Amino acid sequence: MTACGGSEDGAGQGSAPKAPATIPELTKDPLTLSFVWFAWPPAQALEKFANEEYRKVRPNATIKVNTVPNANWHDAMFTQFAARKTDFDIAILDSQHIGEAVTNGNILDLTDFVKNNIDVNAYDPYLLAAYGQFPQAETGRRDENASLYGLPLLGDTWTMIYRKDLIGDQAPQTWDEMISAAQKCQTDHPGVSGLAFHQANGSDAAAVTYNTVNGVYGGNLWDAKAKKIEGVLNDAAGQEAMDVLVNRMKPLTAKGSGNWFIDEVNAAVAQGKACIAFNWIAASGGLLDPKQSTLGKSREEILGKLGFATLPKQKTDLVPLGGMGMHVSAYSAAANQAEALNFMKWFEQADIQKKWAAAGGVPSRTDAIQSPEFLNAGPFNKVYADSVPRMRDMWNVPQYARLVDIENTGVNAALNGAKKPGDALDDIAREQQAVLDASGRKGGGGL
Amino acid sequence: MSDAVPLTTDSSGQVATVTPPARGRSRRLSDRKLAVAFITPALLLLLAMSVFPLLWALYLSFTDYSATRGGSAGFVWFENYIAVLTSAQVHLRALTTLIYVVGAVALQTVLGFTIAYLISRRTHGRGLLTTLFLVPMMLSPVVVGLFWRFMLDAQFGVVNSMLGSLGLEQVEWLTRQRTALASLIVVDTWQWTPFIMLIALAGLTAVPRYLYEAASIDRASEWFKFRTITLPLVWPLLLIAVLFRSIEAFRLFDLVYILTSGGPGVSTETLSFHVYKVAFLGFNTGTASAYGILMVVVVIVLTQLYLRYLNKLKED
Repeated sequence: MTACGGSEDGAGQGSAPKAPATIPELTKDPLTLSFVWFAWPPAQALEKFANEEYRKVRPNATIKVNTVPNANWHDAMFTQFAARKTDFDIAILDSQHIGEAVTNGNILDLTDFVKNNIDVNAYDPYLLAAYGQFPQAETGRRDENASLYGLPLLGDTWTMIYRKDLIGDQAPQTWDEMISAAQKCQTDHPGVSGLAFHQANGSDAAAVTYNTVNGVYGGNLWDAKAKKIEGVLNDAAGQEAMDVLVNRMKPLTAKGSGNWFIDEVNAAVAQGKACIAFNWIAASGGLLDPKQSTLGKSREEILGKLGFATLPKQKTDLVPLGGMGMHVSAYSAAANQAEALNFMKWFEQADIQKKWAAAGGVPSRTDAIQSPEFLNAGPFNKVYADSVPRMRDMWNVPQYARLVDIENTGVNAALNGAKKPGDALDDIAREQQAVLDASGRKGGGGL
Repeated sequence: MSDAVPLTTDSSGQVATVTPPARGRSRRLSDRKLAVAFITPALLLLLAMSVFPLLWALYLSFTDYSATRGGSAGFVWFENYIAVLTSAQVHLRALTTLIYVVGAVALQTVLGFTIAYLISRRTHGRGLLTTLFLVPMMLSPVVVGLFWRFMLDAQFGVVNSMLGSLGLEQVEWLTRQRTALASLIVVDTWQWTPFIMLIALAGLTAVPRYLYEAASIDRASEWFKFRTITLPLVWPLLLIAVLFRSIEAFRLFDLVYILTSGGPGVSTETLSFHVYKVAFLGFNTGTASAYGILMVVVVIVLTQLYLRYLNKLKED
């Protein structure tokens, strides 16, 4: 038995070692349970919360959340997986990383563990599937026969942040209304740009932006069953979405914002330089901090100017699924794997999820999402609660890192005038299709 | 006759202590063995850290190995090399790298030599000036990239702020195709011009003064002295500096990573940055190894041609 029950060597397709159905005996010795995540406020919140709360039940355990820059997040985890030795016990993977990690046998199969220890009915099925299931679930659903490789840690989606003092209390309800409001606001208030959103070519920044507009305008990223991207992504709906993004939204952004991501968008909002902005909910807490904002000297004053709303609808009401799950490293020591499973079981309890919500986290259990602790913790939390049934994820396949890079660079090129929007979308679809088609090809892969 | 015994004396000149003679080297350790003992650690380190990885990468370059998928490496012979050499993506990155190398090294050479020439003509404060000019070279490229990223920010950067105060329009330094590559060249030039300056300064100070004195006696003009004395004597040294800088610029990664991430689109992606993506986004280790080996081969071939030119110059 390797570690917590797996017996495979960790190599080859679908060879993720199995975690035991029940938690093995835990060590009484001091133990540090290490996570790896990227550097952002939820990482600090998790370390603080876990050390305060988990140590009440496991005084000998210390939680350490190691962070890396967002752009290095995938590489930091997967280079260690490649070495078959990790300095972390729990990898906080983006939902789209799961396929790569499972296929390479890097994380434990938690299916039996979940059956015995987790109340799966307490979750929205799609949230449970998005952060753990492989092969990928159909949007909005969970395949109960599929294996689970992770459990939700932090739910997330985009929120629309709008200046109530500039465009009014009522948030725009459709994408067209939103663009019109941004246009008018920009014209009426020189020095303030109409829109601020992610455009960078690092991480998944520009890709999520396009995918969001694509979803709202009725497009699809791919035909998952036929593994077809070309002709799907760049169909008429996809082209319309790209046209809206580049020709109607981009002109309303600040000059030089073509490399903006989470921090830059937040900075623009906090400094009063944007009428309407889009950002991840989990990264929006700082906007209410008077020390970081020029919009007011108190949280209430800032809230008098900033509104948070679910994304406007257009042809559909889809919103991007964000957030991450917890996944146990297949190369962690047996005692640490046991502790990791115990932590996950503890973390997914109803009362702990509510405490996590109160501490600034975004829970995934339905009871925690609907709890006053969560809904009252931040003005954007209701946005998350309302967005859960509307979520759509990207591709969760082993080639994810390459697919997202192709889309990021292509959309970024279109946004910054390096390519025509239509050509950029056609190139993205063709290159992504080539990546899917080349899986299993001998030699020359990766170009 | 016995050897003289070395003595030490106190301040009053009287004999204080007798220092024993140094012990002779053990007869068992010959000069050759001593040399081997000194060289071995460095040699082992070189073998372990450079030679072995290079040979291992060479082996992997003929396989379809992936570091994350693991398993055995299947031989694909030259397929990785053919794929790299025939890839339009690689050709695009090669062109970007070429423009970058030529632009950056040419600018650095002109500026570096000019600064060195001006410093060499000063008699006072030469050391201080040289030290000040060397500061950028001593900074980490990541640090340089980060603060230039802030300085070149279109909205909040000091560069655009200065342009604004002069009544000029804001420039999107890092997010437009042409300005992004130019910005990379400018930042690299800011950091590495001192290197060329230093080498050129060494060459300039080594030019014998009597040549200038003889030329002055013949009433030669400054331009004539520069063209016939200074430049020919400094040129070979300058070419060595250009060679070093070209190799460094050819493998540029860090500034691209920090400043533009290869954008907008892929317009500032250099070969090294592309290799990184092939190696770590898809973990196509075999292809990335072939890509890396080809880059090493290109550098070696170009260096050899360059060195031959230098030797020819020396012979002439």
